[in-house]
Amino acid sequence: MNGYAIVIATDEFEKITAASIIGSIAAASDIPVDVFVTMNGLRPFEHEVVETRDFTTGPLGEAMLTSEETEVPLFTEQFRDARDMGPMNLYACTMAMEMWGRELDDYVDIFDDELGVSGFLTKAADKQVIFV
Amino acid sequence: MSEQLTADVTIDARGAGCPGPLMDLIGKVKKADSGTVFELQTSDRGSVTDVPEWVEKAGHELLETVEHDDYWSIYVEKA
Repeated sequence: MNGYAIVIATDEFEKITAASIIGSIAAASDIPVDVFVTMNGLRPFEHEVVETRDFTTGPLGEAMLTSEETEVPLFTEQFRDARDMGPMNLYACTMAMEMWGRELDDYVDIFDDELGVSGFLTKAADKQVIFV
Repeated sequence: MSEQLTADVTIDARGAGCPGPLMDLIGKVKKADSGTVFELQTSDRGSVTDVPEWVEKAGHELLETVEHDDYWSIYVEKA
């Protein structure tokens, strides 16, 4: 096993946040991490959604977004910090982008590239896959 | 005793939730010289167990954890 391949296919704020926390600590600890964002998972990465905080959340997500006592970094900031600290790469799914009618520029600037399933499987070949 | 410990670098991560304190520590440790002593100040209860786990796995030394009224000081020496 040579790191983690995290597939984000959900638009649920809490699940994406959890994935960002786990992946970020791994990458910051010099464990290779590839993140593949696909299906509904792409929507929360859109500029407008991030700016308006229009996320799909449950009670905990609401608490994380509004807490005045505890500062919880947004998953986009978490991924950005992790990319600066360790071996982490993020990829947006080409097929899902086409279905959404989006380009890479429509998303926050944390993606290294867009990728198809074959490309992702190549990157995931020697990694433990985490699917959220 | 905690009074005897003197940190070279103090990281004030009070108010930050998981994984902020640990990320702050990792970032600073990576750039420091061997032997540097850090004091991580955190009000995140999870850090009290999570930081030592990382410290051990990364091969550094956990010197002491001091509990204050509303936060903890976790002292770590870089290997």
